[in-house]
Amino acid sequence: MKIARARPERFGGIVEVESPRALLHVDRQMMRELGYPDSPLWQLPPEGPLSAPREVHVVLSRRCAAGCRGCYVDATPGGAALPFEDACRILDELAAMGVFHVALGGGEAIELDYLFAVASHARRVGITPNLTTSGLGLDAKAAEKCRVFGQINVSVDGVGAAYAAARGFDGFRHAERALRLLRAVKREVGVNCVVSRSSFPHVPEVARLVRKLRLNELELLRFKPVGRGARLDEELTPAQCRELWPMARRLVWRERIRVKLDCSFAPMVFWHRPSAKAAAFFGVQGCVGGDVLAAVQPEGAFTGCSFTARPAADARIPGAMAEAWRSGFSEFRDYAAHAPEPCASCEYLRLCNGGCRAVGTPDPGCPRVQEHRSRLPLPVVAG
Amino acid sequence: MKLFRRGRVLQATFGCNPNSSSLGVDVTFLLFGAAFASALAVVLGALLRREPR
Repeated sequence: MKIARARPERFGGIVEVESPRALLHVDRQMMRELGYPDSPLWQLPPEGPLSAPREVHVVLSRRCAAGCRGCYVDATPGGAALPFEDACRILDELAAMGVFHVALGGGEAIELDYLFAVASHARRVGITPNLTTSGLGLDAKAAEKCRVFGQINVSVDGVGAAYAAARGFDGFRHAERALRLLRAVKREVGVNCVVSRSSFPHVPEVARLVRKLRLNELELLRFKPVGRGARLDEELTPAQCRELWPMARRLVWRERIRVKLDCSFAPMVFWHRPSAKAAAFFGVQGCVGGDVLAAVQPEGAFTGCSFTARPAADARIPGAMAEAWRSGFSEFRDYAAHAPEPCASCEYLRLCNGGCRAVGTPDPGCPRVQEHRSRLPLPVVAG
Repeated sequence: MKLFRRGRVLQATFGCNPNSSSLGVDVTFLLFGAAFASALAVVLGALLRREPR
């Protein structure tokens, strides 16, 4: 277990290890045992926001030729892009803040001729770059260059006709080819699958594809009414919200694959009352915007997550991100302290943090919220 | 007499996240429950201490 680097935090520190690739939160005593000096942060109460995000989603562009009908960033073939120089300078600043990982995406990041140069720069400054791609246009030469990334996931929202139904064009063959090309050069290749009302029944087919191609993970991402997705009526039904966690467990057992759910699914998991201790240990959290996660938009906005439009700073201004991190993001960080019912009495509040801000607060997809609202008296309408 | 308390691993997340929002739930690990988490914390702590920085 080789330690790549570490940074102090109020509670102790975060240690990045290379094999197995992991981020470990350790207490102050463990930091001392590992040879790190006492930090001024250890004079503060252990509870509180991290000194910097652990990872940042860098939306390199809103540029993509695919035109998916539910695109979160409203990408078009001529959409805005973060220039190479700005991307590198932002990475320098994130490295200085102590960020461990960046998730590069778009739009379709592979359409940018400087994508691999940005990823190489991230490596040079000590940040692990990761990538999400549709796989469209990825050839063997580009796949070889993808060794620079940590994890690469290809978006596959269905197999065969289900792909076309979900995304609005028939790109499954291209996505599958990209997965095979990438898997031939590296092990850390997985699938992203957006789970919507229509695609929900087809998720097991995607899980079988992950097993067949020997990929290392299936990430299920909740459909969010953001970007072009706001025009679709594809949010999960209450029954699907309740069924999500049992389905994910079945996929793990049946297909013997690693399944991950995005943070917006956390309320639907907590409703099934998993072990809170295990959830805390494995970093199972709801909204992590402005805490573990931040985002940089192609226009330079520094936001709590890529699904929120409210900027805390302009990332292109030197020092602005670090300053905003110290004082901003109260809409994410203060929720638990002032949470309304039914969140206030929920035992998972500190982990869940009210669910996904992109869909509403408190999260309307949370079964507990749905039950609470069904018990409220109907409004009196004046006759 | 003051007892020496060894350092602890408080949280472990494995792999890298390539997405804007996939920090949520690692189903595979969560299925194993609290006892597994406690045991893993001890093992990871021991492995960390063995490794020179």
